[in-house]
Amino acid sequence: MTIDASSVAAGGRVARAGEGELAPPILEVHGISKTFTTNNREVVALRDVSLAVRRGEFVSLVGASGCGKTTLLRSIVGLESPDAGIISLEGQILDGVSKDMAYVFQDINLLPWRSVVANVELGLEARAVPKRERRERAMHFLGLVGLTDVADAPPYTLSGGMQQRVGVARALATEPKVLLMDEPFGQLDNFTREALQVEISNLWSRLGTTIVFVTHDVDEAIFLSDRVVLFVPNPGRISEIVDVPLPRPRSDYDVRADSRAIELRSQVMQHLHRAGAVAG
Amino acid sequence: MSANIRPGARSGGAALAAPRSGAIAGEDVVPLGARDAAAAARTRVPLAWAREHAATIARWVVIAAVVGLWQASATFLNPIFISSPVTVVRDFASLVGNGQLPSAFGSSIGELAAGAVIALVLGVTIGMSMGRIRLIERALDPLVALGNATPSIALLPVMVVWFGVGSSARIAFIMVLGLWTFIINTLAGVRSVRGGLRDVGVAFGLGPWRQTWEIYLPATAPYIFVAARIAMAQATVGMILSGQEVGQGGLGGLAADFGSYSETGQLIATIATTTALAMFLFWLIRTVQARAFPWINETSAGRR
Repeated sequence: MTIDASSVAAGGRVARAGEGELAPPILEVHGISKTFTTNNREVVALRDVSLAVRRGEFVSLVGASGCGKTTLLRSIVGLESPDAGIISLEGQILDGVSKDMAYVFQDINLLPWRSVVANVELGLEARAVPKRERRERAMHFLGLVGLTDVADAPPYTLSGGMQQRVGVARALATEPKVLLMDEPFGQLDNFTREALQVEISNLWSRLGTTIVFVTHDVDEAIFLSDRVVLFVPNPGRISEIVDVPLPRPRSDYDVRADSRAIELRSQVMQHLHRAGAVAG
Repeated sequence: MSANIRPGARSGGAALAAPRSGAIAGEDVVPLGARDAAAAARTRVPLAWAREHAATIARWVVIAAVVGLWQASATFLNPIFISSPVTVVRDFASLVGNGQLPSAFGSSIGELAAGAVIALVLGVTIGMSMGRIRLIERALDPLVALGNATPSIALLPVMVVWFGVGSSARIAFIMVLGLWTFIINTLAGVRSVRGGLRDVGVAFGLGPWRQTWEIYLPATAPYIFVAARIAMAQATVGMILSGQEVGQGGLGGLAADFGSYSETGQLIATIATTTALAMFLFWLIRTVQARAFPWINETSAGRR
């Protein structure tokens, strides 16, 4: 395991030396802090978090609940406004919501009054795509997740796994430069989750989209990612960034059985325990 | 990847249940083995039919008993107090025949529809604006509280002063009765829109206007339907009241006339027409909701 110590230096500068052959960063997060006040109690969700994601990279943010990983993802898309710090996409500092990114929600949040295909069209409407092209693109991305059959069905008639496929299609249809996924499979049963992990991995290799993926499942993170970012709580911050050197494609490859993956997993868990990120 | 949608699964379940339901109903095509059982069951049909329709039968027994008692009481009570079902039906027929009831019905329903539609459009627009724009909420909040607290009946003379004696005053009164219900419920609906749905609008880059139209308005629909039911009851009262008080128009005016001449049979026939109208309107609201907004019931049962 190569723990990338240089990336967690104080101040959080993450542009790494000696990696010129890798793609340049597409998404950069610098010194993000965010404090929530609930019932007169201040919770530091993020303190001085910095991260750089390279073009085409699959990065997972891992940690226990309350370590700020979802807050970071929401800040990147513009659903939260950080108290301090800057976020830039392709060198452009973002202010508010970027139409170059798309979001997949843990609780899916399909609009029940729209058909499946109309849900996928939502982001395209905001991007002023003409009606005919909208439908074609929506059907294309529904096809990628294998759901053209149910295009006209109301979303609440689908199973949870199928609903989240629609959620993925809705995000991909906007052809985002960066796809942000917030524990997208957290509410699904194990079998559905594993099927969708393979599927998202295939889609990622096929489309080349940069993905930032939040999860608390270390196996899921190792299976999917190029790099795993470990978060610890109180205050929420990055503790380590871990490279995952397992070969791809990993689709028909059992991460739970591979010795390198097992080694990686136990080191990640040990690190999280040492850092006090896992209670009990 | 399998693409099973629920309707398919449901029809599978129905096929399994068919032998049992077929045996009871004694109709439907029944799988081979169950045919004899179904034939045997056919002899017990009357009893089975009665058991299946027990609630309907009980309901008609109650209705028949009430009408019977009413008819019986008419033989010893002064007809001015209670009339009788037979007289009411006869009076109803003559009121329809001489055109009095249809014309009153027409003008009443026209005023009701006009008042209710204005209340709906205005109330939802105001409620939505208050829910979406903080400044508007702050600005209108006291006014809405004031309007809602004012006993609407007190506004009837005001409407007459503003619009004169006639249809406009009655429409305005009906509108005012329903308006606050729509404003308050729409506002409550906007406030209750799930955070997740709000996030979808923001994260997918919809502008404020599009968010209102594509997310907040449909998400508020369940509250607007509740408001429609309450407002419909209020508006019906407004329709009768304004008909009685403002220029004697429509069903309300007709009822007031018959009341003052002690024409109890015609009075009851008019009231029954009003009741039928109100019930039709409730049915209409329910049907529109079920047809155009099926997701309201489908998603409120704990499903997403």
